[in-house]
Amino acid sequence: MNLRNAFITALRALSRNKMRSALTSIGIIIGISSVIIMVGIGNSARIAVKKRIYTAGANAITIYDSQKPLTMRNLEDIKRMFTQIQYITPQIYKSKLLVKYKKREIVSRIYGVNNDFFKLKDWDVIYGRYFSDLDIASGNRVVVIGETVRTEIFGYVNPVGEIIQIDSIPFKVIGSLTELGQAFSGRDFDNLLVIPYTTAQVRIIGEKKFDEIITSTFSTEEVDSTTTSIRDYLRIKHSIPPGKPDDFRMETSKDKLKQADYIANVLRILLAFIASISLIVGGIGIMNIMLVSVSERTREIGIRMAIGAKRKDILTQFLIESITLSSAGGIIGITLGLLIYFLIVFFVNWPFLFSPLWVLISFLFASSVGIFFGYYPAKKASQLKPIDALRFE
Amino acid sequence: MKRNIIEIKNLYKIYGDGEEVNVTALNNVSLNIKEGEFIAIMGSSGSGKSTLMNILGFLDLPTSGTYILDNTEASSMGHDEMAEIRNKKIGFVFQGFNLLSRTSALENVELPLFYRGHVSSHEMREKAAELLGLVGLSGREHHHPNKLSGGQQQRVAIARALVNDPSIILADEPTGNLDTVNTEDVMNMFSRLNKELGITIILVTHEPDVAEFTDRKIIFRDGEIVEDSPVRKKKKKS
Ligand SMILES: Nc1ncnc2c1ncn2[C@@H]1O[C@H](COP(=O)(O)OP(=O)(O)O)[C@@H](O)[C@H]1O
Ligand SMILES: [Mg+2]
Repeated sequence: MNLRNAFITALRALSRNKMRSALTSIGIIIGISSVIIMVGIGNSARIAVKKRIYTAGANAITIYDSQKPLTMRNLEDIKRMFTQIQYITPQIYKSKLLVKYKKREIVSRIYGVNNDFFKLKDWDVIYGRYFSDLDIASGNRVVVIGETVRTEIFGYVNPVGEIIQIDSIPFKVIGSLTELGQAFSGRDFDNLLVIPYTTAQVRIIGEKKFDEIITSTFSTEEVDSTTTSIRDYLRIKHSIPPGKPDDFRMETSKDKLKQADYIANVLRILLAFIASISLIVGGIGIMNIMLVSVSERTREIGIRMAIGAKRKDILTQFLIESITLSSAGGIIGITLGLLIYFLIVFFVNWPFLFSPLWVLISFLFASSVGIFFGYYPAKKASQLKPIDALRFE
Repeated sequence: MKRNIIEIKNLYKIYGDGEEVNVTALNNVSLNIKEGEFIAIMGSSGSGKSTLMNILGFLDLPTSGTYILDNTEASSMGHDEMAEIRNKKIGFVFQGFNLLSRTSALENVELPLFYRGHVSSHEMREKAAELLGLVGLSGREHHHPNKLSGGQQQRVAIARALVNDPSIILADEPTGNLDTVNTEDVMNMFSRLNKELGITIILVTHEPDVAEFTDRKIIFRDGEIVEDSPVRKKKKKS
């Protein structure tokens, strides 16, 4: 029997039992669609996190967790000593502040910074303005609000010029930021307030210190050497003898990227593992149904042998049946998976990444599941004795 | 003088595990059948008729003895060769029809051509339709077996047996499930196939009326041939 006839035979057999064929494929459909969804989301997450890290400042170096307070003096020294530095800002951070405007309120978080902060993060003010020199110098109670704060408490009202209460301290809104989006964890990047660091020191934490200093170099090549130079500078300032560990921590956007990559890889391995298990379960489903099918169709096999089917014809027929089931399951699973993946990234506003390679791999994998798990039942069918199969009731 | 198409010598078939519960279904059977013969095999139930048919049709192997079909010794053949002989030289007709369910009459008749190879689907269709016409089932090509009467199903089975132009038809109680009218139809069809196409036909039957259609009668008892004689035709009114 040639392959074309084998295909016709197998497809006829499958279409005689449409319901069962559909149910058999479901395992593979679920397996393959979860592979597609998981790999897709893993890749999108990676891109999204990368973008986020770059938004937190490409070429950024953050100094934090310092046991001695980081001061304006430190900042000015660094700025003066290293000409490769493009932007530098102090950062004072506080969360869980109650923001009120008329009857409306929202719990938000605050950043005390200078104007370099916006440039470093590439955040734009769409309504109003940035801080003025006077705002910084005299610690004015002015605030730039994030998109969520604006929509939540102002709605359609123009916020610029309005007075809001932050932890009962009145601030004048001077601007509002473009929308930044949402993390997959649900964390809202737009629920924030930005005020001059001087104001934050006086009004919010009541201390003349910084939590962090964030700086960035003009070029990526300078990040590592600048990090080393700043470290040396701070060790001298903090009088740390050689051999003793730093009393502060530094992190570059490269480190964060590495971390994110690491997490993404672990995630991907985990997802691949879960997906393979679901595929194996799908494969066992196929094997199970094919075994049932072989024993139910013993008489059919007998008839086919009686009219001239060779062992390899029967083997081919049942193998093609299981491959067809798993491949059809693969195609449906890929389509379904891409659809669900698309919907998910659409709603969390992540990039949709279509990888033909992965689609191909998934498809081939689905087909090989059919070969692997269909072989045993097919072999069993082909080795029946014609007369025994024919007599089977 | 016609040549022997089938030669059987000292054939034994013993069912069982070789220890206690053995059944000797064929006990030292020797038999020659010439090309173009029309033979009835008779005998009580359990006398070994089906066992012989299965061996003749390469569905089963004898325990010992020789079976030569068309000058080829059966025991020297592999699975594939036997499958090929079933496909090309032998047409089976069974008591229970053995059609594929939920499959149209046409597709059932085409089936042996699938395993033959080198036949285009157009040719298959044409040949199958032609044979369905020959057995009087034109217009029922797309009926499934469950929509056909017993007589019609058996005619589909005969068309299927003929599709590969076999030299032998083996029919194990082909009229066992049919009424007298259909029995007569089917037997007339076998007669024509035998007379007009020269196909060797061996059929098993319990009914003397059916055996009347044949030319030679072989009677089995307990796995042995107890009678082998020409059939004396009754005078038919014309
Ligand atoms: N597969 C088998 N296993 C064991 N015994 C069998 C088998 N097939 C047939 N027999 C026995 O062999 C004998 C001959 O059977 P069979 O050839 O079917 O007789 P018939 O067709 O003449 O009625 C019977 O006693 C039957 O019980
Ligand atoms: Mg019998």
